[in-house]
Amino acid sequence: MKKGRLLLACVLLVSMLSGCGGSKEADGKVKLEFFQNKPEAKGSFDKLIAKFNQAHPGIQVSQINPPDAETVLKTRVVKNDIPDVIALGATDTYSILAQSDIFTDLTQSKLLENIEPNYIKMLKDITGMDKVTAVPYATNANGIMYNKTLFKEMGLTVPKTWDELIATAQKVKDNGKIPFYFTYKDDWQTNLPFNALAPNLVGIDFFKQLREGKVTFKEKFREVAEKQLKLLDYGHGDNFGKNYADGNRAFAKGEAAMYIQGSWAIPEIRKANPKADIGFFPFPAGNDPEQNKLISGVDTLLTISEDTKHKKEAEEFLSFLLEPENIGQYIKEQTAFAAVKGVNQEDPAVAELLPYLKEGKVLDFADHYLPAAMQLNSIVQAFLQNRNIDGYLQTLDREWDKVQSRK
Amino acid sequence: MTKRLTAFYWMTVPAVILFFIFMTLPALQGIYYSFTNWNGFGKHYDFVGFKNYINIFTDNNVGNAYLFTFKFAIVTTILTNVLSLLIALGLNAKIKFRNFFRGIYFLPNILSVLIVGYIFNYLFSNVFTIWGKNLGVSAFSTNILGNEHMAWIGIVIVAVWQGIAFNTILYLAGLQTIPTSLYEASNLDGASRWQEFWKITFPLIAPFFTINMVLAMKNSLMVFDQIIALTNGGPGRATQSISHLIYTGGFQGGEFAYQSANSVIYFIVIALISVLQLKFLQGRETDM
Repeated sequence: MKKGRLLLACVLLVSMLSGCGGSKEADGKVKLEFFQNKPEAKGSFDKLIAKFNQAHPGIQVSQINPPDAETVLKTRVVKNDIPDVIALGATDTYSILAQSDIFTDLTQSKLLENIEPNYIKMLKDITGMDKVTAVPYATNANGIMYNKTLFKEMGLTVPKTWDELIATAQKVKDNGKIPFYFTYKDDWQTNLPFNALAPNLVGIDFFKQLREGKVTFKEKFREVAEKQLKLLDYGHGDNFGKNYADGNRAFAKGEAAMYIQGSWAIPEIRKANPKADIGFFPFPAGNDPEQNKLISGVDTLLTISEDTKHKKEAEEFLSFLLEPENIGQYIKEQTAFAAVKGVNQEDPAVAELLPYLKEGKVLDFADHYLPAAMQLNSIVQAFLQNRNIDGYLQTLDREWDKVQSRK
Repeated sequence: MTKRLTAFYWMTVPAVILFFIFMTLPALQGIYYSFTNWNGFGKHYDFVGFKNYINIFTDNNVGNAYLFTFKFAIVTTILTNVLSLLIALGLNAKIKFRNFFRGIYFLPNILSVLIVGYIFNYLFSNVFTIWGKNLGVSAFSTNILGNEHMAWIGIVIVAVWQGIAFNTILYLAGLQTIPTSLYEASNLDGASRWQEFWKITFPLIAPFFTINMVLAMKNSLMVFDQIIALTNGGPGRATQSISHLIYTGGFQGGEFAYQSANSVIYFIVIALISVLQLKFLQGRETDM
């Protein structure tokens, strides 16, 4: 009897714990969970979702946007609780998730018809797979922002080569102003020059050869490292003490002439100063302006879970998001670029980048090709502090080898 | 008799079951995964034997994290205990507004570690730097969290500031267990304040000293929240603690199995240290 009661207590406890799952479709509507990783984009997606839900009474889409979303997503994958529709950046996280086959294969899907082939190829390069499991949605650009007012005051023009860039920075410095506002307290910020320099000077092919074990960082990355260090001569007094948020505020107030940053920061800068007159030019990595390409990656891609019970509705939602009117609204609010053909970004701040995008003179971010376990960000941040080029290149090679040998 | 036994079962068994489900089971799973090459998700993994463990001993990031963690833990434990004992002595004396001060000193303990961390992060980068500039001290005119060699000091400051609160309360409780008659007796014998402290106060609060040392050491060995809020392990890996390495490598880096092996080793290390500390300090208690 006693044992029976004890057992009952255990059973009750266990059922209490497992009873938290909850049921869906209580009101006959198909419920879609839309998981996305950009806190900046929450408002924009909310508007689009409201519009979609109104037009589709049978479907109820809800947005989930937790902090540190990539980690949350990974833990949910562990629990086999995968959201129906997922929006992510085309990063290493996407690559490993795609390789574990949790996304629906969209290679033959109509959804890809209107997408720039450049960006579809990028996804294939990142995952190393032939099939496409995501729709590139919005893309971004990494380059150098400049304060147009300050440039005018000092009589400066937009630099087209590396030497011109350094000369421009020197002039700003001579005028007693800060050339670059570095925000290197955040380790991911230290990576932005690396992401621009490496693809232009070494090429994305390097990473494919690296996977095959044919090249090393030591052979190819000396110039990248030297230029990363050179830039530090033109910072402010506390390069490693300021973070991304500090930088957006300072640049918006005109404290520095240039800001090595991604297009994603524009809305944040305008929040701090709506009147900031900013321009944006591609990072001139080398000395031949013709060879110089813009760094642009897939900022947001859309995927459908392989296990979702509502594939049809999920596809409907994706094709809604891809409609020119809707993606147009999204990229306008986010100052991003569309992966859909014929949808253009009209913001004057990024006007100088459009020719590069139109001609397809773009290269992907370098760190999309390096495993997250290498922790490239902290390697670069450490290097910029100790300024030891040999040690840096050695560390890159060693960390790469270590991660490979653990697989 | 049997009735009383039933009551005891009711008191213990649910807790044991919960503990088993939420602590023991995941720990066992972690040990299991540490022998595989699982990336944390996905359905495929293979057994790799002791490969993860061998790799850990050749990984300089792990060594670096251990070095930082122990440096941090030892300094934090000593500072926390010295300062909180001093504060407790003050708060135990017959000062004015005693309860008010007790409340003030306990305040940091009820604040969330993350919020305290983010506030200090802001202070370090935007307030202390301005003070430094105004005072003309060049070392403090830049953010110390952005400096490879000084960032750990910033974390110690925050951890100690917050850690003191709880230890002070424990010491205060200890001080109140000492009968005042002992002090009266020592007064009659003409003992100095210094002798009074070392001969009466300190020996009598020895059990509290033990528990405070063990708790402070354990807490600072597992330092994580402060690092997330203040430096995220940076600059570079200068302030990466072992828990931070396990978290970033295992969850963000997709090396679940490898970092599981790391945490198994770390578990053994912490358990050993706690046992040794208890043995040594409790042995000392009975000597006094």
